[in-house]
This record gives sequence, structure tokens and C-alpha cells, in this order.
Amino acid sequence: MTMEALRRVRVQEVALPLVVVLLVVVGTVLRGTIFFSTANLWNVLVQASVAGTVAVGMTFVIATGGIDLAVGSVLAAAAIVGGHYFHGAGAAWFMAGTVLAAAVAGAVNGIAVAWLRIVPFVATLAMLAAARGVAQQISHQTPVALYDLEALTRIGSQRVLGIPIPAIVFLIVVALGWVLLNRTRYGRYVIAVGGNREAARIAGIRVRPILFSVYVLVGVCTGIASVLQTGQLASASPVVGLGLELDAIAAVVIGGTSLAGGHCSMVGTFFGVITFALIFNLLTLENVESQVQQILRGVIILGAVAIQRRGH
Amino acid sequence: MTAVLEVRGLVKVFPGVTALAGVDLDVEAGEVHCLVGQNGAGKSTLIKCVSGAALPTSGTIRLLGQDLTTGRPGAALSAGVATMYQELDLVPDLSVSANIFLGHERRIGPLLDRRAMRREATELLARLGHATLDPDAQVADLRPADRQLVSMARALSRDVRLLIMDEPSAILDPPEVDALFEVVRRLTSAGVGVVYISHRLDEIARIGDRVTVLRDGKTVASNLPATTSADQLVHLMIGRSFREVFPERSAPRSDVVLRVRRLSRRPDLAETSFEVRAGEILGVGGLVGAGRTELLRAIAGLDPVDGGEVTVAGRALPRDRPDLAVAAGIGVAPEERKSQGLWLDWNQVRNVTICDLPRLGRGPFTDAAAEHRAAAAQLRSLDVRPDDPRRLASELSGGNQQKVVLARWLLHASAVLLLDEPTRGVDVGAKADVYRVIAELAARGLAIVMVSSELAELVGFCDRILVMREGAVVAELRGEHATEELILRHALRTGHDAPGVSP
Repeated sequence: MTMEALRRVRVQEVALPLVVVLLVVVGTVLRGTIFFSTANLWNVLVQASVAGTVAVGMTFVIATGGIDLAVGSVLAAAAIVGGHYFHGAGAAWFMAGTVLAAAVAGAVNGIAVAWLRIVPFVATLAMLAAARGVAQQISHQTPVALYDLEALTRIGSQRVLGIPIPAIVFLIVVALGWVLLNRTRYGRYVIAVGGNREAARIAGIRVRPILFSVYVLVGVCTGIASVLQTGQLASASPVVGLGLELDAIAAVVIGGTSLAGGHCSMVGTFFGVITFALIFNLLTLENVESQVQQILRGVIILGAVAIQRRGH
Repeated sequence: MTAVLEVRGLVKVFPGVTALAGVDLDVEAGEVHCLVGQNGAGKSTLIKCVSGAALPTSGTIRLLGQDLTTGRPGAALSAGVATMYQELDLVPDLSVSANIFLGHERRIGPLLDRRAMRREATELLARLGHATLDPDAQVADLRPADRQLVSMARALSRDVRLLIMDEPSAILDPPEVDALFEVVRRLTSAGVGVVYISHRLDEIARIGDRVTVLRDGKTVASNLPATTSADQLVHLMIGRSFREVFPERSAPRSDVVLRVRRLSRRPDLAETSFEVRAGEILGVGGLVGAGRTELLRAIAGLDPVDGGEVTVAGRALPRDRPDLAVAAGIGVAPEERKSQGLWLDWNQVRNVTICDLPRLGRGPFTDAAAEHRAAAAQLRSLDVRPDDPRRLASELSGGNQQKVVLARWLLHASAVLLLDEPTRGVDVGAKADVYRVIAELAARGLAIVMVSSELAELVGFCDRILVMREGAVVAELRGEHATEELILRHALRTGHDAPGVSP
């Protein structure tokens, strides 16, 4: 690997862990063991798990040069569909139904982008509106209580080997995402299509099925995230997931994946997610109001992307 | 007469390629100066330098006796240079008058003065003899000839002293060409100097005053009278100074690998049929825009076709499925190597193995070690320099990038190679190397179709040559009959038919 390649591809994979370490040091200095405790650090991962799981799928979409703005709405709609139609069949059915519903929404996006050739921004913007409507229509604008699904609510309450379940799920999804992106033929084709669509066509790669698949993939990830979310809330709400797309896209972009496609890093996405989660954990511990956090969120995204652009 | 344009010793070096190696050009007020030369002779680069779109490496450009600030389109525009490119630079969704005044709109305070622009547009079009063209019409709805008028009116809307026209007649019917010439004469009688680039040599005597011939980035003849014969111009365009050395070729085998039958894609490609045998190199000559690239893309299933059939080793390819064409053994090395042939920020290994990942991996997984072994073997057999498969494609020279593309199809065991200008952007010294590799591939039994604008390459290297013009194959020349003159004559339609031609 040459220096130029190192600079271009690996800068986030090196710089972001340093940022994470720096944030941990700052947090420890400011708050001591309130911040630097196993409980709080697992808490950071749990807080990161919903947006982080979505960000894994989003990395694939952005690697093709696309975007999915609908993930927040789909997260809500999938849980409502699961809660409304699969509630009675038990927790496993609820989970399967939720993930399936989100995958179907992703498939609709994928068809719109790959075969109807609608720009991803517009196609998923339409889904953003429609999925939220589906969630509100089916639920009659009221949350669906899911307290009775014990296996589901355990996601929010139990630990395995001392690790909260949402954190475990998130880490597994990241690991699977990394393998899929970096160690399989499919991942190579995704990057090939994002990096040079015409070259991919000439090399005999079927571009449309690849484009379609990444939207299904982000749908599946959103469905999993939706299960994590409902597990923690013990209910499915039509109003959750507002701004989720922003968190997921920001983590991916800060992680070094280029919005133009072709350059992507799952490790970068992971650290992007963690960086965001640490910053907001710290701000909350420092009692910074949520409105102010929201403003800072915008500032951080702008600053991080500006720094990233200078590396290109 | 006063000189409008004086170009002296103009040199333009791109990384790896010298496009202009000392060009002189004089254009006087009121004359039509024709500029001719083969594809790649430097015509386009010359006009880009004059219009400010490219920065010359050295040399001077003087306009009306003043040194022109080079490399700044704005400076050239305000000095009175207007350029009409082949791809007309109009905005289709805007009206005629909006296009004419694009960039220097008439205004009242901050608001557009649409009435003034409409009125002046009509006046300008009247000066060109076309007062009937509606200034409110959308450019997208106009015929090509009318678009050209808009382009010329735009040139006139500024105080134009030099108008550069790059193949203005290429898209016009004969009556429209007559009308165009009438407009050009109106301009020259108003003292405008015109640089007229055309591949239609028969037009020169009709519209031109003097002719300058470019070859290999140099002026080889200047200020010839427009009455110079087409034969003499063709001879000057080809030259005899420079000979490529081509590698020894083995004779083609008898089995037909690629068969193209009545393949068509209107309006780019008329019904085309031919066969290519194993070990054969079929050259495809013609001018830029003659349909050569479109032919290759149609064969490979990259563009939808209207009709016809492609068979590889006797098996018909399904339409519009480039993936199945690749699977059937068709490999394409596109002319736009960097934007279509390669992933520049990938290393050589990944660029070579992209078509063979299923074979080189285990199940759905890739196998980096196997990929490296397979790619390195192919890259080494083609002698890619530097011998470091981990080097990024962007760091290689043009010739070595071409070899990486070829290595991909070699690894894929392709039976047919479609090469589009395989030595374009390759250094003169490295060209011999690319020829050697292509000759080796042919010797291994691949059927090769090679589009080229370099006549010497077609004549010296190919077994057979198809000449295309306006989307159709107009001649097939066999090795011993092929000459550069003959190819160029068929490509240009100078009216002669020579012996040894089967149309």
C-alpha cells in the first residue's frame, strides 16, 4: 500500500480511534468514574446501537453513491407493522415481521433506484414521507404496547456475559458488515459499482441487482435496529426514529465513506458511530440541554466533513 | 488585409503526450482559413489554446496584434474570439434569446431585460439571414442547423473578430450546408476572420480562402490556396516521415470466433455484418463520430440495439446483457480507459481479478492470496511496469494501464477482444510494447477487433480493415490492398473509388 493510498483510505481509520481515545480521556478528566465506568461505557454502546446498526447498512448504500433518507420512518413503520400484525404470534414472530417489513420498504426503494432510475435522494425522500404515514395510519397515531412480549423486552433489560444485548447485536452487525464489505465478492461488486459504474458494466457486473440489494440490506439493518428500539421501549411508537437518517449518514461520512461512492470503510463507520455516541454521552453528563446538543450535532457534522474534504 | 490571429511556435504538452509540437497559424480579417489534419493531429488542442480552454506550454498567440492572455476563456472572449465546438455548447432548456445572451445578459438594474434581448436576438439572426427564427423558441426544439445559427448569433452578440468553427457541417444536410456557407460569407464580408475545421475536403474549395495542414502536432503546410487538390491534402495529412515498427504477426486461423450479423442501432450504426477468425486482428478505421465506438459497444451489449445478432464461437448472445457477453468471452478495452476501463484507486490486482472473483474465491468469499497469484502471473506475462501488482492503477503510465485492462481479459480467458483506440494516450515509445502484446494475444488465438484513428496502425498491423463513415461500413480492405490514402479517402468521401475495394 502506497503512501497516497494510506492517506486517502486510512486516514479516518487511524484518526477516529485517536478521537475516541481523546474523548474518553476528556470525559474521565471531567467526570471521573461517572463517565469512565463499565456501566456508562456499555451505556454509550447501547445508545449507539440503533443508529449504529442502521449505519452499517447505510455504509453499503453510500458506497454505491446512493443515500437512504427513509431509515427513520421505516424504523417506526416496521415496528408498528410488527406490533400490529405479529404481536399475537409471539416475540419471535414480532421480530421477524418487523425485519421483513423494513426489508420490503428497502426493496421498494431499491426498485425505484435500480429499475425506475429515480435518484436515491428523491426515491428515499418519498419513502420517508410514505413510511411515516403508514406508521401513523396503522397505529391510529397511538403506540402499540408490547410489555407482554417478554423475549422482546429482555433486549432492554438483560445482559449476556455482562454486556447489554443491544450492544452485542450492534457489534455482531458491524462485524458481519465488515466481512461482507471487505471479504466477499458481493462487497467488492458494491465498491466496484460505486467507484466506476461504467467500468463495472463493461466488466460484466450486473449493476442494477447490486444497487437494488444495498437498499434491501439497509432495510434489514433498519429492521434489526427497530427491534432493538422497541425492545428498549417495550412498545412500538409511530413517532420514533425522527432524525435517525441524519445520525446514520453522519456517522458513515465522518467514518470516511465518500458520498460520491467507491470509497468506504466499515471500521470508519464503527468509530464514527462511537465518536458521536461518546460526544453526546459527555454532553448529557455535563447537563447540556438537548436543544444545544442538537445545534452541536450540526456543527460537528459540518466540521468533520470539512476536515475530511481537505484530505482529498 | 490585417492579421486577426498569429500563432507562432505553439507547444502543448500533456502528461506523457505532446499534443502540439510547434504550430504556426495566420488568419487574416475577412478570410476563411481552413484547418485540416487527421484525428489527433492537434486541431482540437490548437483551438482550445486559442479560445483559452487550454493553457499552452510555450509559444505565442497574438490577436489583432496584441498578445493574448492564454489559459483564460474570459480573456479570449473579450478579445473577440468566439468558438463553436462540435458539441454545441447551448443550454437546451433555455430560449434562443436566453442562449444568445448567456453570460452577458441585457439587464435593467438587477432584472433581466427580456424585451431588449428578444429584439437584439432578432436583429442578430437577421444579420445572419434568418430573421424568421423565433427568439422565444426553446433550443431543445430546434433542428441542428438552427441550433448552429443560435451558436453563431451568440458569437456575434459579442464583438467577434475571430470565429472558430469546429466541423460545423458534420451534422448538416447539403441544403443546410449551403445556408451555413451563406452565413459564413456574411460574417467574412463584415471583416470577421474564420478558422474553419472540416473533414470534408470537398468543402474547402467552396468556402475556404487558404488552408493549413497539421500533422503530429506540427504545421506541415500553411497558407496553401483553397484550390489545392484533395489528393495533395490527404498526402500532406498522412506524411511519410514517421514509420511505426510493428511486430511480426502469425497468420489467422480458419475458425470464425466472432460473427456479427445485421447489427444496427439507429442513428449511430447502420446494419453491419462481419466475421473475425481466431488469431485475426480486424481493424476499424474512420473519423471520430463515424460509429466505430458505437459498433464495439453494440457488440458487447453495452448499448441497446435495434436489430441483429452477435455470436461468439457459434453461440448467439442475448441482447442488452453485457454480463452475459463477458461470460461468453467478449472483453472490451474502452477508449476512455481511465473513466470506463479501470478503477484508478484500486491496485492492479483488483483491477485484473474483477471478472474472475467466483473462480478465485471460496463460496461467497474472496481470497486475496489467490487473487494476487493469478493477477501477478498475467501482469508479468504482459510485462507491466513497475512489476508491483499492489501499485494503484492511477500510478501507471497509459501503456501499462492498457496492459492491466488486457490482463483482466486474459485471466478471464476471453475469446474476443474489442479494443477501442488501444494506443491512444500511450507514449510513442510504449506503443510498440502495446502492439507486441496485442500481437501475442492474437497468436494465442483470440479474435481481435481494433478501432483506431492511426492509419499507420491499421495498415501496418491489421489483417483486414473495415472503414466506417456516418454509421456504416463503407469499405473492407484486405492487408495487401490497404493503404493510408485509401482508408482516408473512404473515411472522408472524397469521391474517388480506388481498385481493391469491396464496398
